[in-house]
Amino acid sequence: MKNMGKIIFKTDDAQLKLNSDQRSQLQSGFRSERDILKKRSAKYVRIFSSLDTKSLTEVQGWNKLMQQVHEEFGTAELKSLPIGIVSKCFLGESYEVHILDLSAAQIIKHFKLNEAMPSDYEKARTLALHNAYAFVEVYTDKVIVIREDGSAIKI
Amino acid sequence: MADYAISYADLSNIYNALSTVNGNISTVNSNIGTLSDVQQVLANKQEVMEIELQNFMKVFAEFVETDAKLKNLQLAETRVGNLRQELQLKFGYYSEIRRMATGILQGVDSGIVGNETIKSTTEEVMLKAPGYWLAPALVALASWIRDDKSTCDKALTESLKRDDYKSTLFFMLLTRRVGRNEASLTWLERYFTHQNPHDLDREFITVLEAVTTGVFHPASRTLMMKYVKSWLNELVQGDTFINEQKKQWLKFFEAFRPPLHSDKYPLLKQYAKNWVTLESSLRDVNTNEILHGHFNSIISSSYDFSSSTKVKLDEILNQLVTNFDDEELPLQKKVRLNQLIIEKDGDKDSAQSVMDAEENIYKEKVDFLQMLTNAAFDPESAGVTKLTQSLAVSISQPWIIEAHDTFTAQCRKRYPQIIELVIDGFASTTKNGSDEKEQILKQESFYKSEIEKELKKVEFPLSTVLIGSLIGLVGLVLILTSFIIGLLGFGIGGVMIWNSINNVNKKKEQVRIKLEERKKKAKEVLRGCLAETVDYQKEISTEDSKAEKVRLLLKTITPQDFSSVSQDTARNLI
Repeated sequence: MKNMGKIIFKTDDAQLKLNSDQRSQLQSGFRSERDILKKRSAKYVRIFSSLDTKSLTEVQGWNKLMQQVHEEFGTAELKSLPIGIVSKCFLGESYEVHILDLSAAQIIKHFKLNEAMPSDYEKARTLALHNAYAFVEVYTDKVIVIREDGSAIKI
Repeated sequence: MADYAISYADLSNIYNALSTVNGNISTVNSNIGTLSDVQQVLANKQEVMEIELQNFMKVFAEFVETDAKLKNLQLAETRVGNLRQELQLKFGYYSEIRRMATGILQGVDSGIVGNETIKSTTEEVMLKAPGYWLAPALVALASWIRDDKSTCDKALTESLKRDDYKSTLFFMLLTRRVGRNEASLTWLERYFTHQNPHDLDREFITVLEAVTTGVFHPASRTLMMKYVKSWLNELVQGDTFINEQKKQWLKFFEAFRPPLHSDKYPLLKQYAKNWVTLESSLRDVNTNEILHGHFNSIISSSYDFSSSTKVKLDEILNQLVTNFDDEELPLQKKVRLNQLIIEKDGDKDSAQSVMDAEENIYKEKVDFLQMLTNAAFDPESAGVTKLTQSLAVSISQPWIIEAHDTFTAQCRKRYPQIIELVIDGFASTTKNGSDEKEQILKQESFYKSEIEKELKKVEFPLSTVLIGSLIGLVGLVLILTSFIIGLLGFGIGGVMIWNSINNVNKKKEQVRIKLEERKKKAKEVLRGCLAETVDYQKEISTEDSKAEKVRLLLKTITPQDFSSVSQDTARNLI
């Protein structure tokens, strides 16, 4: 309690200010996680949860999609963008999920019940199938689940 | 000849000598035998001694441990006494002043204590407790009561010098109590100006409590909210603070996972290969209802405004003047540790672990977010009422929801998509148990192939049939020469063939009956498993949907719900 007085009478007390190290730590932290967990826009959620697969066969469809991804993530570096998106597949009863590969390959691949997905994506499967979630963004080092309202959950 | 005789005599000597050597060797041998017996006895004794030594070591180790504990206990008892004495010696008057402060407040209220008495007593404590902030604060209070401005100013300055925060808080509460709103607000502003959200003092929770429970003028609350908002903005900028709280909330949610009623799904427990996962997921989903109840009780209990503002104020003031001073804390901690050693019968390690667990209570300084988490987790330990707990939950709401979302998603990720059944060697998977027809068909084809496999194992008695045929054939040939013997041979051969074939058929029938019996039982089990699977998936889905209810409930919690002031003066914090 003695240092209470110190704070009052010595306003340059170190405790009141963050040192530069702490500040830079906070700043870099802000760029990494707060950004990645920000609420996704309604447009982004809409486009990726109700994907018209036909439109993707055209080059233009993919361009639009990629444009939306860049719009959503702003100036983020390429390596911090999702490598793909996993969501429920409505092609038919036997189909369960599909992957939207956002890397250079840019393909959409549908998976049937019990059909194994590439290991990076398999971990997103159960969550993508759950009705509470619109789709799942898969990154190289994490999985982010997106709810219908756009809120993002890191797993 | 003579040579020959000498040679005989010599040989007998040699024989004798050899006999002696032989005798000696026998003696040595028998001695060795005796020695080996002795050695055996010794070895046995050594073994016994080793066992005894081990027992002794064990007893000795136990003795050392008990002795150490006893010594720890004795030491702790002595230390508690000494420490208490030291506390009494150093801070004895602190408790007296604490009692006096409450007394003066009540005495002034009832008007039965004269100004002179208050004056003389307060000045006396000033002399007795140098360094304790409450002493000059009481002098300031006494001089204020009798309108002695100059003494009041001096005492106030001294009190602030000794402990700015506590004095500020004391006068802030006091001025509010006697209805000096403006003065109270000034004190409150002073208090907030010098707070550091990264490093809050223990008593900040008291202010939060006071403002939340509405003991201040609404303007004070607005002021507090202004500061709280700016602190939150500062703290939630980075990942460090918020992630720490999220981590704690995640642990908090996990701690609510209930044990399972083990007999709910007996067949799945026995026949599902992935039962451990199934059980774990059940525990996951059953957490939702408990969490809903928990948060609901926090919200609903917060509407208890029955106690009057004055009582609340007195409680808070009482807390302020009766809580240990920071100067006393190191000693109080030592007392606590020694008390715990006594409670744990001298076991220092377990005492230390309890102490570590309690550490947060003694933690002198915390950041604002941690303070909110402490109040939200365990209001009693944090020294706040349920109302402040609600406020803490409402302010922490954004990261509680984040943590809850993560908790729910983690649980959902673990939900088994299929149930792996293994019944009597028949392995199958089902998603939701609705595919009974297909499963039964699969099981039937399994048993069909099982029966075929087992029937193949029953060998045809080729040798017996061949011998029987041979005897029969011989009999048939003999019939021509000796009719009776031939007929007999033919009969024996026939019976042999007939018997062995009959035996094979019987064995096959037995195999069939046994497998049919197994199939019948397994079918019942499969049906039961599928029925339980339906129930299981139903429970998972019903209980899982409750997670969304918890989320909705958390979403509805906003800071303005938990203020004693009217809704129109309340501000939406976040």
